[in-house]
Amino acid sequence: MIRLGIMSFAHLHAEAYVENIRALPNAELVGAADEDTARGDHFARSLGVRVWPAYEDLLAQRLDGVIVCAENARHRAAVEIAVRAGVHVLCEKPLATTLADAQAMLQACGKAGVQLMVAFPMRFSAPIVEARRVLDESRLGEISCCVATNQGQNPRHHRAWFVDKRLAGGGAVIDHTAHLVDALRWFLRSEVAEVYAQTTGLLPGGGSGDVETGGLILLTFVNGVFATIDCSWSRPASYPTWGGLSMAFIGRRGVLDVDAFRQRLTVYPEDSSDTRWQYWGSDANQGMIAEFVSAIEQSRTPAVTGVDGYRALEVIVAAYESARTGRPIRLTRGEDQ
Amino acid sequence: MHVAIVGTGLMGRVHAEAWSHTGARITAFVGKPGTGGDILAGTYGARVATELDAVLGEADVVDVCTPTHLHAEFTLRAAAAGKHVVCEKPLALTVPDGLRMIQACRTAGVRLLVAHVLRFFPEYRLARELVARGEIGVPAVLRLSRCTFRPRKADNWYVDPARSGGMILDLMVHDFDYARWVAGDVVRVFARAAQITGQADETDHALAILTHRSGAISHVEGSWAYPAPSFHTRLEIAGAAGLIEVSSPETAAVELRLHKEQDSNQEVALPGSPLQESPYATQLRVFYEALTRGTEPPVSAEDGLAAVQIARAAIDSARAGLPVELDSSGILP
Repeated sequence: MIRLGIMSFAHLHAEAYVENIRALPNAELVGAADEDTARGDHFARSLGVRVWPAYEDLLAQRLDGVIVCAENARHRAAVEIAVRAGVHVLCEKPLATTLADAQAMLQACGKAGVQLMVAFPMRFSAPIVEARRVLDESRLGEISCCVATNQGQNPRHHRAWFVDKRLAGGGAVIDHTAHLVDALRWFLRSEVAEVYAQTTGLLPGGGSGDVETGGLILLTFVNGVFATIDCSWSRPASYPTWGGLSMAFIGRRGVLDVDAFRQRLTVYPEDSSDTRWQYWGSDANQGMIAEFVSAIEQSRTPAVTGVDGYRALEVIVAAYESARTGRPIRLTRGEDQ
Repeated sequence: MHVAIVGTGLMGRVHAEAWSHTGARITAFVGKPGTGGDILAGTYGARVATELDAVLGEADVVDVCTPTHLHAEFTLRAAAAGKHVVCEKPLALTVPDGLRMIQACRTAGVRLLVAHVLRFFPEYRLARELVARGEIGVPAVLRLSRCTFRPRKADNWYVDPARSGGMILDLMVHDFDYARWVAGDVVRVFARAAQITGQADETDHALAILTHRSGAISHVEGSWAYPAPSFHTRLEIAGAAGLIEVSSPETAAVELRLHKEQDSNQEVALPGSPLQESPYATQLRVFYEALTRGTEPPVSAEDGLAAVQIARAAIDSARAGLPVELDSSGILP
């Protein structure tokens, strides 16, 4: 039985991961800890999870692995505490808010011999996996480009820190770019060579105005394929769901459209105008948590690693620089990666 | 009001049909011999000629429906003869050509009406109206997409960059104009282009990011790389207080599905939806009113030029791999 803990409920997904762990026959949720004691107590009650007052107390429970769901800027500190206790780590995306932090996390995990996995659930999304299989069959012919979107509602409605630059590292770009960068790297088996981005603060809810609420990014890969990512928080509160993730691949023999969340019911209530989409597809998070657990069980590298998280962060950092300067940014990779 | 239509291809035919719903009379079709001018002339009771000069005398308006590289030449000749001009989009092959056309028409005191028909498509017009009424707040992020198959005419001028400007100028110009109509002037353009189904040098899929002076950003996609016979368009405007979206596949009011799907033998596809008045007819009715009553149509010659400027910037950006900065305030005298 793999013994797991959750470090922080800052990120929305922590709640879902609790259920994902409970659904696994070979894993046990020992408990959680949260720097914010009020938040910790709240989830302890609502989810029926044992919550310790400090990370160290949680890590004293002979854990095999932890899932770090702290605010983006606090990932490094949480991971370093976990590494000192010698447990494997699944870290929420983005891996960190700076490349220096991400680098330090990779080094700390490497030195301690613990696995560092990054939460890219799209690698376990059934439509995304199927699309990759179709592309691998080469029926679409050579791929020229991809149009990708990961638009959503402003997450401040759920957690205020998402629009606090100190804790989140930015706004829509850092929140909604990583999944698609990772999926594209995974599909294309190529690295990003150049990043162009333009951002806007005209969509509402950018905190005190210091984070961008919309962004368009154009990536060019080493293999010549180019792709755009729309990471905007452009879904209003009345939108039938939180947002979505889609990709359209243009190839020599045709076009492949992928929508990770189109498997849904449309529900129209009598007593309000709140039409909603109720998702009925497979739960990608479940596959991701299962992979983390089985990687620990089998003492192997997980399917998604800290390096994948680092690569996505490189693109995010370059996107901010491009948006600031109005110029495309070439990625120059250090030898150490 | 007498109209001479120059060009007897797809757009000449579409414009002729649209003019027939107005009070204007089509007096002549000008085209190369053997390009269908005779049939059109018969249908509309007009003359057919191979030279504009031969029919210019009896015309009040010259409607230029030729391949793009000839827009300037015919516009300048019509203006010199004191005739009003209706010109198919894009206004011109190049920005200097467009400038010359505008100046010539100003000097001659004639109207220059650019057929940016997208401004007359009801879904696009309504979306823009809702934005103008403030229903979704200030526009922030626009997504505009126009995807169809590669034109396949016998004399395929569409795919010849020297005659059409290529896919970016011929097709994406619609959405460049629309983005500017909704979110205002564009100050920076970055684009990447690919050649997928055609010959080298023929861009058939491109993605562009426009930065508007207002701080809004637009994602524009154009394609001639989609499988025939599809023509898909998508529009999304995210504003500070709401979101508007519409897509042609999801709003297709009539759909025919056959047991054995067959590609059509269409040479060039036009988007459309069943309507009492087609957007092409609306456009020429509005132009007819502009010419007979002096009203202002919702698209000016300067708008047409600005759209060419954005398209040219996208072409240059894709070629150089760098963003192109625009100063749209300084383009016209």
